[in-house]
Amino acid sequence: MSNKYVEMGMRSPVNLTWEVTLACNLRCNHCLSSSGEKACNELSTAEALDLVEQLHTARVFQVNFGGGEPFIRPDFEEILAACHARGIMTCISTNGTLITAELVNRLATNPLVAIQVSLDGARRETCDAVRGDGVFDAAIAAVKLLAATKIPASINTVLTTHNASEIPAMHDLARSLGVSLRVSRFRPSGRGADNWESLRPTPAQLLTFSDWLAKSGDVRTGDSFFSLTTQERQGLGLNLCGAAKLTCCVSPTGHMYPCAFLQSDRFEAGDLRVKKFQEIWDTSEIYASFRNLRIHSCEECTRFDQCHGGCPAVAWHLKNDINGGDPECLERCVTSIADNRLDLAA
Amino acid sequence: MAAAGIKLHPSCRVRQEGFGLLFYDCKGPRLLFAATGTLLPADYFGTVRARDEFPAGTSESQKPALQKFVTQLLEKGFLREQ
Ligand SMILES: C[S@@+](CC[C@H](N)C(=O)[O-])C[C@H]1O[C@@H](n2cnc3c(N)ncnc32)[C@H](O)[C@@H]1O
Ligand code: SF4
Repeated sequence: MSNKYVEMGMRSPVNLTWEVTLACNLRCNHCLSSSGEKACNELSTAEALDLVEQLHTARVFQVNFGGGEPFIRPDFEEILAACHARGIMTCISTNGTLITAELVNRLATNPLVAIQVSLDGARRETCDAVRGDGVFDAAIAAVKLLAATKIPASINTVLTTHNASEIPAMHDLARSLGVSLRVSRFRPSGRGADNWESLRPTPAQLLTFSDWLAKSGDVRTGDSFFSLTTQERQGLGLNLCGAAKLTCCVSPTGHMYPCAFLQSDRFEAGDLRVKKFQEIWDTSEIYASFRNLRIHSCEECTRFDQCHGGCPAVAWHLKNDINGGDPECLERCVTSIADNRLDLAA
Repeated sequence: MAAAGIKLHPSCRVRQEGFGLLFYDCKGPRLLFAATGTLLPADYFGTVRARDEFPAGTSESQKPALQKFVTQLLEKGFLREQ
């Protein structure tokens, strides 16, 4: 069932992803933003602080900081402090390599911050194959520093074909470190698109994961697996794509998009150097088109009420069709496995 | 010791939307859509309130529904007793 209140339209996003820089000290081969070098013309400190003020006026509840590596930005703590001074909750996604005891102590003074450290395997070899040598150890050290404070901390894992069998072990690892586990769906964007075929989980792995997730109520997914959601997890999220309805994305250069996985000219909703945040949210034609998006090709499916056609970003990247229906939804995973069996039997 | 009153939980936020109040709990995260119209201002639970205290102008006929709503918010953890 769709959410009638979401359909009515929100005055502003509930939360948003703000990629504060494209600069990163790592070159992960799944990176959705192809991060590495800083983008030219990234928002200045003054522009970033002005945006925080606009988000406050718009009553945005939470900002999820990503990038690039947010802690590379020299003024990042200043931006955080501006959010916290206005009561805006923050969640930072970090690769963990720049986390020091001093930084953690400073962050721990504020109750409005949460941190998720990215770790893409329970085994050092699995994680470092995606993120680079030495990253697993650095990330674990960061998690330990965070777990010793009151900062709500989690490990975030992007499900790939290489770590799919390690997800239960990731859960155990997170528990043993005293933090929670969040698993994100791998999307074919940025370097993730370049390496899609070698990293994407197989339909069988997605189904196994879906079953495991159904039994693991404490594992969060940021609703990114709603296309695979089983009955057991129906109550845990809204089970719909929130892009342009409940959330949106701000790029390092101040361009707004429906979500972090659709940051191209085709999906640009507006430029914060030209228009105000609220004006873009209210008047962007791209946002209006996402709010009116109906995946008609999925409407006959018995699971339509549960997934509403899935992730438009995946449909766009894989089928070049934003209305095309999620090629990796639960129903299509089951069908594709059955088709393979028939092919083998023939 | 009896609780002095109720207040928005520190992990929660609330704002006015066209349909009423939108509550957000960053732990989860989870949302609660409350079709309260303009009965309760969004900042109402920003300060400690008695459980049976409502904005001036609330009619007697509206109070039972609002009281039930406050109880639900407490049960769901969006409000807490202080
Ligand atoms: C882009 S990173 C930026 C923040 C920080 N550098 C980090 O790695 O956590 C934010 C999150 O997105 C995840 N991510 C990267 N590429 C992805 C992709 N193609 N699909 C889904 N999530 C991805 C990362 O693993 C990380 O947890
Ligand atoms: S996923 Fe994060 S750490 Fe890895 S390259 Fe992208 S921004 Fe850097």
